[in-house]
Amino acid sequence: MHVLIVEDEKTLAYEMADFLKKAFYVCDLAHTLEKGIESVSVNRYDFILIDLGLPDGDGLDMLQQVKAHNSEAAIIILTARGNLEDRIKGLDLGADDYLAKPFYLLELQSRMQAIARRKFDIKEELIPVGNFQIDLQKRFVLYGQDTIELSRKEFDLLSYLLLHKNRVLTRMQLSEHIWGTVAVDDFDSNYIDAHIKNIRKKLNVWAHTDWLETVRGVGYRIKIQ
Amino acid sequence: MKLATKLILFISGSKFIIVGLFILVLPVLVGEIASEYTNYMLRMQRAEVMQTIHKNGLDYYLQGENEYGSYTMLREEYIALEQTDHAVLQDTIRDAKRVIEGDTLNYRILSHVFTHQGRHYLLEIGKTTASIDHYNRPLQRVTLYALVFLIALTVLVDIVFTRILVRPLSLIIKTKLLNRKFPFRRKPELVQTSTTDFRYLDESLVLLMQQINEAFEKEREFTANASHEFMTPISILQSKMENLLRDDLVNDDAAVRVVEMMRTLDRLKRISGSLLLISRIDNEQYTKTDTLPIASMIEELMAEVDFKLEEQGIQTSRTLRPDIALLHVNADLLFQLFYNLIHNAIKFTPSGGKISITDQLLTDGAYQIQISDTGAGIPSEQLPFVFDRFKKSTSGNQTGFGLGLAIVKRIATYHHMQIEVSSQVNKGTQFTLTFAAKNVKKVE
Repeated sequence: MHVLIVEDEKTLAYEMADFLKKAFYVCDLAHTLEKGIESVSVNRYDFILIDLGLPDGDGLDMLQQVKAHNSEAAIIILTARGNLEDRIKGLDLGADDYLAKPFYLLELQSRMQAIARRKFDIKEELIPVGNFQIDLQKRFVLYGQDTIELSRKEFDLLSYLLLHKNRVLTRMQLSEHIWGTVAVDDFDSNYIDAHIKNIRKKLNVWAHTDWLETVRGVGYRIKIQ
Repeated sequence: MKLATKLILFISGSKFIIVGLFILVLPVLVGEIASEYTNYMLRMQRAEVMQTIHKNGLDYYLQGENEYGSYTMLREEYIALEQTDHAVLQDTIRDAKRVIEGDTLNYRILSHVFTHQGRHYLLEIGKTTASIDHYNRPLQRVTLYALVFLIALTVLVDIVFTRILVRPLSLIIKTKLLNRKFPFRRKPELVQTSTTDFRYLDESLVLLMQQINEAFEKEREFTANASHEFMTPISILQSKMENLLRDDLVNDDAAVRVVEMMRTLDRLKRISGSLLLISRIDNEQYTKTDTLPIASMIEELMAEVDFKLEEQGIQTSRTLRPDIALLHVNADLLFQLFYNLIHNAIKFTPSGGKISITDQLLTDGAYQIQISDTGAGIPSEQLPFVFDRFKKSTSGNQTGFGLGLAIVKRIATYHHMQIEVSSQVNKGTQFTLTFAAKNVKKVE
């Protein structure tokens, strides 16, 4: 997958590229609107990540150019402005998603995966996890023929861990994905622990859940081959 | 009491007191005047008589006889002239009785003894005291009427003038002080007045309002800019840490430290986010166009914290009318508001405690929700400050930096809701939210 990152904050752009490269994306960087438009007219991209506050213009202006030259590219708007108008305007102009800074790179990658699945109509089969099978689209967990009831949040948590399997996810990454931007000043990560506990309790009735690991001091991980 | 009322009461009061005193002494005064005037008249008459005698001789009156007397028809006045043996040249005015044609009457009598051609004569000029008092009464009455009329007139003039005089003040109070909602969106206009005191007051008020506005604007701008400017550096740090965590070279110990750094950064992010939220509410960046079925929203919210309640062993009771929808609100903000309040209740309620959410529709159509807990409570001296920013609770070892309730307050104000808090230490805390009737709809 070919990604163009239009972001004037160079350090941030490098970190994003670094992260995405490890997930086997090929990244180009543009630090100005002009460079971005130039890149779009020359290359074909699968994803274009656009920062709105660029030194030589508004990232929203680039959306039309992208639609003209590279209409199949998925666009994700990244911004520190984070107000509702920008969001609505961006989505109206054809952006596929919108992420307010500061965001977790993991969240960015998940959004990109979700868009890819939608765009390229990837239908995943039931994913085997230990003795269970999980359907991420239809949102259920099976043990043999039996469906296991999980709450919405519990399923969100489980599927997020599964999407990033074999990788430790921190409680912050998990809670931001699940609760988003609700401003709670003293968010305590026990919420995540409590949910994990509940998931284990519900699944343990059927089979062991060794695959759902607690990594001490760091977070949680689903470990499967 | 208003200044105008006070002024009018004082002016009229003092006038009535002075007039009252005057009316009390009026009979004495009028009596004195009448008496003085009578004496004066008597002396004038004596002078006239003496002049006549001087000019025409004594026989003009006596015509050869020893005495002369004359009186008016109603015997109100009389004049008498006779020879006397008294050698004392007396000249007095006194009240005495005289008998005229068998009637004894009270007279004011001027007695004057004079010498003419070697003989002493006594001249008496009298006027009945009754006739003196005669003028007394009408005089008093006319004076009284005139006074009352004048007083009424001046009081009326006073009322009108005082009102005109004080009107700029009431205008200043009405436009600058009453029903002013902070922040002052419209630029205040100066009240027209020629009274320098009022103008000074008005100008000072306008200046103060502008200064407050400017300070508020600056604070708002600073909050927005600062929290906004934090976002990019936080983004960079967060991304670097995330990448570091994925790096195979980082061992387990280092990973734990990176996560600790991330947790600290997360806190910074939440503070900035909360401040940004507050400044966005202050900047009115949220639409208020949602219609929100309140009971189902609370249900949804409670479902999110259910496991937490279970874990902490907190009971809940909810008795909310299912038929109430809130109009012209921002659903996200109200969710945030109730989330913070309930989150707060959970935080301060110990195991075995209870959180109840109740509501009622008031007779005037307003709608009230109460969120009560049986938690630690808030000491009364801290109650007025619970909605202030960065006011940390001093009780217990609670975390948080105190923006939760500040956000609650902003959202409530933004929606013109009333929010009240009452609390008793170790008994619990109750938050009461009141939505005005125009924000409430009954649905089937």
